[in-house]
Amino acid sequence: MKIYSLGYLLKEGIRSLWTNRTMTLASVCVLISCLLLTGTAVLFSMNIATAMKDVENSNSITVYLDDNLPALKAVEVGEQLRQLDNIATCDYVPKDEALKDILEGMGDEGSVFEGLTGSDNFLPDAYRISFEDISKYDETIAAIESLEGVNKYTDYSEIIDRLNSIDNMVRIFGVVVVAVLGVVSLFIIANTIKVTMFSRRLEISIMKSVGATDMFVRIPFIVEGMLIGLISSLLSTLIIGLAYVRIMDAIVNVIPFFTPVVMDTFFWPMMGCFVLAGLLFGMMGGLISIRRYLKHEGSLAVA
Amino acid sequence: MIEFNDVSKVYANGTRALQHLNLYVDKGEFVFIVGSSGAGKSTFLKLIMCEEKPTSGQILLNGQEISNAKRREIPYIRRKMGIVFQDFRLIDTMTVFDNVAFAMRVTGASYYDIKKRVPYILGLVGLQHKARHKPTELSGGERQRVGLARALVNNPSIIIADEPTGNIDPALSFEIVDLLSEINLRGTTVLMVTHEHSLVKHFNRRIIQIHSGQIVADTQQPVVQPAD
Repeated sequence: MKIYSLGYLLKEGIRSLWTNRTMTLASVCVLISCLLLTGTAVLFSMNIATAMKDVENSNSITVYLDDNLPALKAVEVGEQLRQLDNIATCDYVPKDEALKDILEGMGDEGSVFEGLTGSDNFLPDAYRISFEDISKYDETIAAIESLEGVNKYTDYSEIIDRLNSIDNMVRIFGVVVVAVLGVVSLFIIANTIKVTMFSRRLEISIMKSVGATDMFVRIPFIVEGMLIGLISSLLSTLIIGLAYVRIMDAIVNVIPFFTPVVMDTFFWPMMGCFVLAGLLFGMMGGLISIRRYLKHEGSLAVA
Repeated sequence: MIEFNDVSKVYANGTRALQHLNLYVDKGEFVFIVGSSGAGKSTFLKLIMCEEKPTSGQILLNGQEISNAKRREIPYIRRKMGIVFQDFRLIDTMTVFDNVAFAMRVTGASYYDIKKRVPYILGLVGLQHKARHKPTELSGGERQRVGLARALVNNPSIIIADEPTGNIDPALSFEIVDLLSEINLRGTTVLMVTHEHSLVKHFNRRIIQIHSGQIVADTQQPVVQPAD
């Protein structure tokens, strides 16, 4: 392929994109919806992951000891807790300190309970524990419960379970939808290019008769497909970029303690992936449609 | 130049298009190929253009065997020939200039070469003043001259004309053959398929007559009928 030809072939690709603008628009729309859904699923997953991290990080569960457990026994329970698998930290919280925390949290109103110090303190002694791996939550809790002297513990398992199942659902659903839409967009791109090819079959046969190589005939169609991919990927990035901030603002309004993933962290990688996927899909669409054509009627120069 | 050695072509449906064809066309010759429709003229052309492969025998172009050319070699073989079609095969949305330039672009010619060569070739066929026109604005004879210009632009060693006068006025037909003769005088081999007897008679050239897939008459060489 000579360099003079390249500019010409690029121009030809753009020309057919415009000539077939209705089909081009259809391809672009389907590819955009495919990319948008993929992007949405990935972003959802990312946000769920950070939400779970948040829960995990703040998730120092509190293990309360039996009332009036002797101090020596309490220390022993602490040792046993530390020896369990999957325990990252284990801090002793004496009941006096726990009360002080609560009173501080209540501010001025806390002064009402100031008399409850010492033996009047109704709170049990406790250990604040954090896990290394939140997914082993159930096993670890079972081990903790079996220890003698442990009364009860605060429970986060439901939140974790729910987040996990939502994440899984989104992932499975996302993969299925994206796979289906991927096939559909490939099909539509291939058909768009087939329309171009059909409208230019005279040109192609003349090209073949004057000695055009297969590559020369192919390039404008590949360019057309890749341009469809490029346009779709840039528009998808734009749409997600604009929509993400607004949607996250709305969610934070409803769930104030939720901290969404910041767009800066994923914007450029996302755009890169979109452009790459778009170009790849477009190229494949172009190749699929031209391959069969060139093999059969496309090589007929005389007839 | 072109050599057919015992070439036969049987299509998948059993049609015997060509049978034991032997032919030699020398460099610089002007040959009319005549025959009624279905005689095997189209197959003959398709074989030369590597669009079909012979069932048996071999075809040589400038000493190179083209009958078993690989797919990727075919474009380069075709660049050595210029083809003129009965139905002109011009692209109506392009100007005359672009229709001719198109054939050069395919071979990877530079913009500069195209700009220099195309007007020269259009001058050769007497159409330099119509360069900016669309084919639809031209007469049949003029269109065929554009077709001829396109066939010539890559400086082929052979011109293959497939009934080039079939779609134009008889009066203009002579003009086209005159042009082909002129091109022939410059050293280009010309192979013209036709069934217009008046033309063939008027231009006293070598005539090869094909009938039922066999050469039945050749004004230059004695015809040796196959044994079967």
